[in-house]
Amino acid sequence: MSFKINKYDKSRKAFERAEKVIPSGVYGHLGPAEGCFIPVEAFPIFAEKAEGTYFWDVDGNRFIDYMCAYGPNILGYGDKDVNAAAFEQSKIADCTTSPSFKMVELAELLVDTVKSADWAFFAKNGGDTTTLAIMTARAATRRKKIVFVSGFYHGVAPWTQKLGYPGVMEEEVANNLYIPWNDFEAFEKIVDENEGEIAAFIATPYMHGNFQDNELPADGYWQKVRKLCTQKGIVLIVDDVRCGWRLDLAGSDHYYGFEADLICFCKALANGWNLSALCGKDWLKSAVSGVTYTGSYWLSAVPFAAAIACINKMKKLNLPEVLRKKGLMLTDGLRIAAANNGFNLVVSGEPALFYLRTADKDNNLMLHQEWVAECVKRGVFFTNHHNHFMNAAMTDEDIKFTIEVAEEAYRVLRKNHPEL
Amino acid sequence: MVDQRTLAYINLYAVLGTLENLCELDPAAGALLTNKKPISIGFEIKGGPSATLTFKNGRCRMEQGVGDCDVKLPFSSCEKFNGLLDGTVTPVPSKGFAHIKFLLKEFTPLTDLLAKYMRPNPEDLKDEEFFRISTTLMFYTIAVAIAQIANNDKVGKFTANLIVDGDIEMSIANGPAATLRAKNGRIVALKRAPENPRAIMRFESIQLARDLFDGKINAVATIGTGKITMKGMISMLDNLNRLLDRVAFYLA
Repeated sequence: MSFKINKYDKSRKAFERAEKVIPSGVYGHLGPAEGCFIPVEAFPIFAEKAEGTYFWDVDGNRFIDYMCAYGPNILGYGDKDVNAAAFEQSKIADCTTSPSFKMVELAELLVDTVKSADWAFFAKNGGDTTTLAIMTARAATRRKKIVFVSGFYHGVAPWTQKLGYPGVMEEEVANNLYIPWNDFEAFEKIVDENEGEIAAFIATPYMHGNFQDNELPADGYWQKVRKLCTQKGIVLIVDDVRCGWRLDLAGSDHYYGFEADLICFCKALANGWNLSALCGKDWLKSAVSGVTYTGSYWLSAVPFAAAIACINKMKKLNLPEVLRKKGLMLTDGLRIAAANNGFNLVVSGEPALFYLRTADKDNNLMLHQEWVAECVKRGVFFTNHHNHFMNAAMTDEDIKFTIEVAEEAYRVLRKNHPEL
Repeated sequence: MVDQRTLAYINLYAVLGTLENLCELDPAAGALLTNKKPISIGFEIKGGPSATLTFKNGRCRMEQGVGDCDVKLPFSSCEKFNGLLDGTVTPVPSKGFAHIKFLLKEFTPLTDLLAKYMRPNPEDLKDEEFFRISTTLMFYTIAVAIAQIANNDKVGKFTANLIVDGDIEMSIANGPAATLRAKNGRIVALKRAPENPRAIMRFESIQLARDLFDGKINAVATIGTGKITMKGMISMLDNLNRLLDRVAFYLA
C-alpha cells in the first residue's frame, strides 16, 4: 500500500502571515522550533478542526494525533460527555465574581479520587501548579533550596529554567540543586551536604525528559526517596502534569507505590478544557493557604464542570488500563515494522506515554528524524524527541493504519540509506 | 558584567586568531606581509591565555603557547591585553626589538584591516565581496568565541556542561563551516566542517547568517521559516544557541 503524501501550502502561507505579527510565528512546544519539526516542510503548522483521535490541518490533511495536544486530549477531541457538561455549565455561569459551587464539587471528587490528596487548589496551567508547589514547600519549611532531577521540565517560570537561558537571572536559579534520575545515593549525598536547607524534591513519576530514552523508576527508588524526605522534613513534590490520569486515576505516585506531599495536575484533567490543580496532604493546607496566588480565570466554572465529567468518564472506562493496552498494541507493531526493514526502534517509558527512538550507529538521531518526517507526511503525527500520548478514542483500525504507515516510512529510509 | 579573563580568551583566539582567515580571504592582507623570513609574535597574558601568531609567505597561523617566538608581547593582566584590542593599551615587547618595524609596518596595518572587516561601516558592506569576507571572518570569530565562552565564562561553563559529547556542525550553505567539538563539558572549535556531526545548524545564506550575527533576527524564530536547518541531537543546538547569545554579550 502506498499512502498519500501531504502538502502544506496553506499552512506555509498562514505561517508567513503569523510570523509578521507573532514572535516565532508559532512559539512554544506547538511551534516548529520547540516542536522539533525536522525538516519543517514535513509538518503541518495550523489545525483546522479536531475530532476523536484525529486533527485536520488547514490544507485538509488528516492526522492520527499521537501528541494529543501534548497531553490534554485523553478521551478524544470533542468528547461528547465532557463537552455536554461544559456547554451546560456555560449556559449557567462561567467567570463570575463569586465562584461556582462546581469548584467544591471538583475538589471533593479529586480528594475522593487521588490517593494523596486532602485538598485541591485550582489554576490554569501545569506551570501554575509547580510554582505553587515550590512556594508552598518554601513557606512550610522556611527553607530555600530545591532538588531537581537532571533533564527535568517543570514549566517555564524562571525558577524552572537554567543558568544561561535568556531572561533568567542567576539569582532565580541559585537555589536549584541537580541530581541524576534514579540515583538515590546522589539524593542522600545532596541532602547531607545541604542539611536543613532543602525545602523540596520535585520530580516527575518517571524520567520522561526529552531527547533521551525514558526511564522508569528503579525498584524501591521512590520508597527510599519518600522515607528520606519524611526523615529530613523535605516536601516531596510529584509533577504529574504529563503522566497524570494516564497511569493511575489515583495519581502516578499511587501507581508507583508511594505518596507525594504535593502532586501537580493539568493536561488531561479536563480533556482540553483549561484547568490545572495542585493537590496535597493535610499538613500543607495551612501553608498553601498563606501563599498569595491567584489568577483572573482560575475559578471559572466551565472547566470545573468539564473536569468532573472527564474524571467520571475516565473512572467508568478504567482508562489507564485501556491506554496501556492500546499503547502496547501500537508500540509492539511499530517495533515489528522497524525490524521488518532492518531497523531497531527503541520504545521506552510507559505504554500510555511511549517514547520512540530509531537506533543508529552514530547516535545522532538523524535517522529517527527522517522516519518521523516520513510518518507525518503520511498522516501519522509523531514528534521527534518528546514522549507521545494515547487517548481513548483511538481504535484498533487507527493503530493498524499507523503501523502500516510506519512500515512504509521505514521502507523509504531503507531505500534512502542503502549504506546502512 | 563582562568577565575580563573570558574576554581575553575571546580576543586572543577568536579575534586575533581570525587573522589566519583574513590572510586567506583577502589578497590585500597577504600583500601587507612583505617580510621574507617567517616571523612569530607571542602573546603572553598573565592569568590568561597565550598564543603565537606566525607569519610566513603572506599567510598567518596561530598556535597555543608562546614557545620560541621572535617577538614576545607580555601583558600583566587580562584587562591590559583587552586594552590592546580596544586601543587603550600600547604593548611593549619583552623580546624581539629588532622586529619593531614588522610590528609597526606590517602587523598593525593587518590588524587595522581586520578591524575594518570586523567593525564595518554600512557603505563598505554594500560591496558584495567585502560583505562575504566580513561575514566569513565574523563567522569564524563567533565559532571560536563560542568555545572560549563554553570553557571560561561562568554561565557558559554551566551551559557547556549540558551538551553531550560529539561534533556540532555550524555552517553557512555554500560558505564557511566550523566544528564545535564537545567533550566532557568543554568545547574545541575547528575551522572546518566535521566528518561525522552529531548535530547540524546550517544557515541558508550568508545574508541570513549576517542578520543573525548582527542581532537582527533570532535563530529560534527563523527555524520555522526553514532558513535555518537544524537536525540531529537538537539538545546540543539548543545549548549552542545559548552560547551564541552569550557571544553578543562579549563582542557587542
